[in-house]
Amino acid sequence: MASHDLFEAVDFLRREGEELLRRFARAHRGVSYADLRFEAVFHRSCVANDGEARESLENESASFGVTVWVDGAPAVAPAPPGAENFIGTGQYGAEIGRLALHRNRLVAALRFGLNEAYQRARASARAGTALRRRRGLESLGSAAGGGLRFAPVRDDVPAAFRDDPRTLDPEALKRIAREASAGARGVSSAIAYNAVAALSELRRELFVSTHGAAITQAFAFSQGDCYVVAQTPRGHQETYDTIGQQRGFEALADGWSGDLQPNPGLVAFAVAMAREAAELADAPVLKPPASEVTVVTDPHFNALLAHEIVGHPSEADRALKMEAAYAGRSWLLRSPAVSEIGKQIGSPMLSACSDPTLAGYGHYRYDHEGTPGRRVMHIDRGTFRGFLNSRMTAAILDAEPNGSARATAACYVPLIRMSNTFFMAGADDPAKIIGEVEHGYYVCGSQIPSIAESRENFRISARRVYEIEHGRLGRLYRSGSVLGDSKRFFMNVDAVGSDLRLIAIPNCGKGQPMQAKRMSNGGPTLRSLARLAGG
Amino acid sequence: MLSIPALKQFAREGARILSAEADLAQFELYCSSAEQLVMRLNYTSDIPSNGLEECKSIGADGFAIRIVPRRNLHEIGTSFIAGDLSGGAIREALARARRAAVIDPHFPGLPDAPRRLRLDANGAGGDLMRAGSARLVETAWEIVGGAIHAFARKTPAGNERQGLIVGGDLSLTRDRFAIASSNFDEVRAEQAAYFSSSVTAIVEALDTRGTATALGASLPGLRRMVPPLGREAVLRALALKQGEQPAPGRHRVLLGPQPIAEILCYLVVPSLTTGAFYASNSAYHGRFGDRVMDERLSIADEPAARGRALARRITCEGLPARRSQLIRDGRLVGLLSNFYDAHRLAHDEHRSEKLGPQAPANPVFPAASGYRLGEGGGRRFDSAPATAATNVVMRARGGVGERELIAAVGNGIYVGRVWYTYPINGQRAGDFTCTITGDSYLIRNGEIAAPLRPNALRINANLDEIFGSPVALGKRVEPVTVWGAPEMFYMPATVAEAVSLSAVGAGD
Repeated sequence: MASHDLFEAVDFLRREGEELLRRFARAHRGVSYADLRFEAVFHRSCVANDGEARESLENESASFGVTVWVDGAPAVAPAPPGAENFIGTGQYGAEIGRLALHRNRLVAALRFGLNEAYQRARASARAGTALRRRRGLESLGSAAGGGLRFAPVRDDVPAAFRDDPRTLDPEALKRIAREASAGARGVSSAIAYNAVAALSELRRELFVSTHGAAITQAFAFSQGDCYVVAQTPRGHQETYDTIGQQRGFEALADGWSGDLQPNPGLVAFAVAMAREAAELADAPVLKPPASEVTVVTDPHFNALLAHEIVGHPSEADRALKMEAAYAGRSWLLRSPAVSEIGKQIGSPMLSACSDPTLAGYGHYRYDHEGTPGRRVMHIDRGTFRGFLNSRMTAAILDAEPNGSARATAACYVPLIRMSNTFFMAGADDPAKIIGEVEHGYYVCGSQIPSIAESRENFRISARRVYEIEHGRLGRLYRSGSVLGDSKRFFMNVDAVGSDLRLIAIPNCGKGQPMQAKRMSNGGPTLRSLARLAGG
Repeated sequence: MLSIPALKQFAREGARILSAEADLAQFELYCSSAEQLVMRLNYTSDIPSNGLEECKSIGADGFAIRIVPRRNLHEIGTSFIAGDLSGGAIREALARARRAAVIDPHFPGLPDAPRRLRLDANGAGGDLMRAGSARLVETAWEIVGGAIHAFARKTPAGNERQGLIVGGDLSLTRDRFAIASSNFDEVRAEQAAYFSSSVTAIVEALDTRGTATALGASLPGLRRMVPPLGREAVLRALALKQGEQPAPGRHRVLLGPQPIAEILCYLVVPSLTTGAFYASNSAYHGRFGDRVMDERLSIADEPAARGRALARRITCEGLPARRSQLIRDGRLVGLLSNFYDAHRLAHDEHRSEKLGPQAPANPVFPAASGYRLGEGGGRRFDSAPATAATNVVMRARGGVGERELIAAVGNGIYVGRVWYTYPINGQRAGDFTCTITGDSYLIRNGEIAAPLRPNALRINANLDEIFGSPVALGKRVEPVTVWGAPEMFYMPATVAEAVSLSAVGAGD
């Protein structure tokens, strides 16, 4: 039977997917767990350069991913007495698009994928069991098995939007990208180049498992990206930023006025970006002071600081060394027995958390293992409290799963990701935080991060750096960055503003192959000590 | 995966349908079938782990069309469809492309190369095309087993809890594509497959890190080169023992092939494109034709060179994938480009200012580097044609061996591996920063004297400081992969004078 709507495949698999998995598990020796993720996506986007449309796209896609666990004991060989069996895991993912319109072909593709994943899991169980026996490594291959200690969830979550991405007039998206780009170009003759992208997207996801989970979730995304190059006889400046909401096109056309993550409309946003770039191109390069100075960092800068120095090292896969060859480790955990949990790593004024239940760009109700997402306190009044985890890493750390395993698309394997991760608001008036500084620097907007391997040190470049003299903002500089050791920076925080704001992050990269994930990061104004670097 | 004949047949059928559309002046149909298999290694001696964390694959079959209506030759419509290579899908794609069409005054039409290309669609990696995933799973476990065995042999009994970490992956990428165009006489097609494996071993008790890498395009190469990588990485990590931390400041530094590859990947290659010059964000803005590096250095992109992992003879725009000489004897002489960007820069009214006074009056930038690549580096129908390099090769005239390089340093630091290399003040500024993560040593009196403590120093430098007037250059180029990058890098070592290093604290 054929359908004309890819999104209907989600409903079909909501009804039939569990039975498909159960039959597969029954028919294949040693399968102890299997899950299926499926998604349908409608995407419309437009890119404009220097006021002219460059490319527009309307696309509807569908993909799936399956995971199979094979218990090494019944399939291959018994585990030694007292040891858990080796669990071999295998995954298969594919972008299948319109194939999902045909139910017979869809089911055949899923069966093929499950069988491939099974063969990989079985081969891995066989080789892993042999190595474990040969070398007496009892803990090898038992990590996967600890993750099913929770009750499975069954739920359906709708998307929130006013303007349905699927019925949006394509000309409206083209128009706003073109007008925003033209607006940026018209700011000044200093604008050498600009690129503006606008997108509106609807995703509907499914998760079913042999454990009994059956969840559908839908998401609307609207995003605007702006990149500007400005040049004057005094210098040049590249500036880029993103606005994004889990809403419809209305968030780009009219702006969004939510308390936590407001944004202007895309045209006003692009014009403001161009104005800033032109001003910065004319500003001098920061000549950094020789020693540590007082720095006041604004919410936008702190979004990247929270992302790199709180969020990433709080990912349990990274902390448990699973990312050591790619994205590095975490200074917050040496081993499960030796970590910073319960220890002071920051000023008592400093708190930070991840909260997918908030209405940011990283909002969701359930992760891609079917676990409910919830607020995770990372830093509570200076004390480190815990990690974002998956089911497996929660079991290793003997913690409750907190629903943080997510993939960019259904065909990718879920990784532990941030959601809405931010420094929490304090009580100080931001103006007072600056006003109290006799001499220092006000660091605004974030650009590029470079982080030490375990995130214990960072250099993050800012968009704008102002000198503070006698409590007042002075000269503007470009090409300034903050150099700091993470713990020292956190411990020296002596003021936390009341102006918490989240920023949409469009493309956090992690995994192999790289998965670029959307999320929010943010914070209020902070004051601490750091070294500065210039250009 | 779909076969080349199946893709070519669909391309022909698509071309027939599209050519019947009377309102189209030009069209292009690109179809591809791609698969990436990835075995992610994850062994931790002191933490429960699965050895192989992910035994996975990601695949996609589909097609993209680009159409140009007769009513305006600067109008371009684009769409793509996955999972359905049928006439009905082409008609659906056509309707979407019409809805998505935009008028772009810079759009020059679709790539035009009517001359028939003499190509054999059966490219490199034929045996890798047929390799099953069970073979990869077994090979990946051989890496893990080799690492564990080497570690056990080299560490004293009863001292096992030293925090051995073995990470990395074994990846196999294979792709096939076919392209038909109203501007071509024939359907053009190609297939390729290559493997890459990068293994990292960390011994946390010693605070050491060793790495080993292999790249290739044949199954025998995979069988020969990949299994020993775990052992090699562990032995390198153990050889480093407890490292020293020198004082921050300016040091003479020998940068090995991996750091040079990172710098090229994140700063140099993105600056050597027509797109970057058009956008005024190249690190070499206004310096085309000038000497931008030491005159002993040359850089080329070699998509079809013998012995390299990647083999591309046709771009994803259907044009010949030619060798691009980018920097010759230190002088910037060429740029990577796709068809659109080459045309746009050539007709840019600000071209003279962007390229600079040394550029020829009417420079030609062949569109030899337009690719549609997915995250894993394979050809994908659902990516737009963009400029990308393939095998990036840096050569050093008068290069010397490793011993002479170390001697040339005198007193300084050998940097074998860096991490998180980014253009900290934007690409055009050429400033970058990164941290030294492993495989590194102190050099005293022209000899390796002691290991360098990993994650203890941050490099803060500019491209000119590294490549402007190096003290010495290596003669041997080594293959390097960079995480997340589709290109392969073949790099020599370079000795740079007075590189600024700042200390990374211990977090307290």
